[in-house]
Amino acid sequence: MIALEHASVKYGHALALEDISIEVGLHEIVAIVGRNGAGKSTTLKTLVGLLPLVAGRRVFGERDISRLSVEQIARQGVALVPDTRRIFPNLTVRENLRIGAVAHQPGYWTEARVLEVFPRLGERIDFGGDQLSGGEQQMLAIARALLGNPRILLLDEPTEGLAPLIVDQLVEVFAHVHRQGTGIVLVEQNLKVPMKLAHRQYVLDHGQVVWSGTSAELKDQRQLVENLITTGAAQ
Amino acid sequence: MSTLIIGLSLGMLLFLLASGLTLIFGMLGVINFAHGALYMLGAYIAFDIGRHTGSFVAGLIGATVLVALAGALIERLALRPLYDRPHFYQLILTFGVILVISEVVKVVWGLGYQESTMPPALAGTVDMFGSTIPVYRLFVIGFGALVSGGLFLLIEKSTFGMLVRAASSDGEMVRLLGLPVASVRMAVFALGSGLAGLAGAIAAPLFPIELGMATNTIIDCFIVVILGGLGNIRGAVAASLLIGLVRAIGYSYMPSWVDILTFSLLIATLLTRPQGLFFRATRSA
Ligand SMILES: Nc1ncnc2c1ncn2[C@@H]1O[C@H](COP(=O)(O)OP(=O)(O)OP(=O)(O)O)[C@@H](O)[C@H]1O
Ligand SMILES: [Mg+2]
Repeated sequence: MIALEHASVKYGHALALEDISIEVGLHEIVAIVGRNGAGKSTTLKTLVGLLPLVAGRRVFGERDISRLSVEQIARQGVALVPDTRRIFPNLTVRENLRIGAVAHQPGYWTEARVLEVFPRLGERIDFGGDQLSGGEQQMLAIARALLGNPRILLLDEPTEGLAPLIVDQLVEVFAHVHRQGTGIVLVEQNLKVPMKLAHRQYVLDHGQVVWSGTSAELKDQRQLVENLITTGAAQ
Repeated sequence: MSTLIIGLSLGMLLFLLASGLTLIFGMLGVINFAHGALYMLGAYIAFDIGRHTGSFVAGLIGATVLVALAGALIERLALRPLYDRPHFYQLILTFGVILVISEVVKVVWGLGYQESTMPPALAGTVDMFGSTIPVYRLFVIGFGALVSGGLFLLIEKSTFGMLVRAASSDGEMVRLLGLPVASVRMAVFALGSGLAGLAGAIAAPLFPIELGMATNTIIDCFIVVILGGLGNIRGAVAASLLIGLVRAIGYSYMPSWVDILTFSLLIATLLTRPQGLFFRATRSA
């Protein structure tokens, strides 16, 4: 399990997360939804150690990882696919894949397996990282993370700006990743993809958790949650 | 013909020096003004090891390794805390390093200049194409070519090179993949410094070893790095050879115009091709 316990985070003097508690099991798919600026990306960055906590704890398994460095946390098996994808533009597609595996033990996800899942990348394997479409970049960013065989995969708005066909394909891939025993944290601005995949969901607003529950519970309270996401107003 | 050989050997020496500078700039974004001082340090160390052991090879290896270690130390202790500051801080720091190295050299080797002897195996001359060519010049050309090939393979083909290139474009993403960017940076600085030390050791038998020995060379070296495109190893090879040839030919036919020639080349490049003479599209080495 990876978790934030009563975590607060600041950018300069501005509080971006306030007393947040979020927990994700290693065999769960959990969605974090919320409108622009709610604090979703900040939550993921905090989980991977990019942002220090001003209060609370960061936990992985039974271990307090509040003070571990970004690379130490990554080596524990926590992988982030950032919202901007951050493909290395000066590396080829093949190198972008290979570098995902360098720091990690081999496992289920090999270069052959990810290319099976994303055949498109195979066709582009010797292209430069700066020669890919948005969809291809997203596939590569996910594939690069998978090659580290993470125990938990954090996805920051992975379907944003992509054609419906590619979104469906990614949903399939995430389900496949989960079946192989990897936990997933899925950040989205709306409920569309989360409702297809997530077991549990958190709604964030103004750096706080304003709703949380299982997807079944969410179905019953869909209107309330939709309102929370669009207006941020509780009640 | 001998002009050509001298030009090429000068160019290769310049390349050894410039490659480290351009590597450090391209990968770390640091303009290392102390590069010339590291070169000088390499020459002194090679000279001293050569004097005590009688072995030129030991001098080469010793100078490379010790200067690389010095580079690693400089990076770890002084530069690392400054990466997040404006470039200005790093410039000041590398200037400071020049002073420290110069003082160390003064204390250890004194103010006078030293003369290193040619290794006997490379001291002779050969007759080629009707001119008499010093063997050492040929050695410098061959050795430089070897190093440039090795460096190219290291950066373009090895896992280490891949990490270095990735870290140069997005160090934080490299960390997110679980890789120790700080060590990679230190290794790059050590490698670049080691190359400066190696260049100093190679230059030692050719020039008097003295405190000011880096001054002229380092200016050419910066010209090479700019002509080749900052951070571009392949560009550095080509630009070094170009400058080496311009200098050699210039000295033979119009000695007083040499500096004007090289600086004109530099200015023209900055005005017309600021990314370097050999810049091609998006990918750079
Ligand atoms: N680097 C930063 N410096 C200062 N403030 C920041 C920074 N990044 C984010 N913020 C602020 O923190 C708050 C949360 O931002 P965050 O990026 O986590 O939102 P988000 O939920 O991911 O939004 P989006 O859906 O637009 O990606 C916002 O008010 C934002 O303006
Ligand atoms: Mg975001």
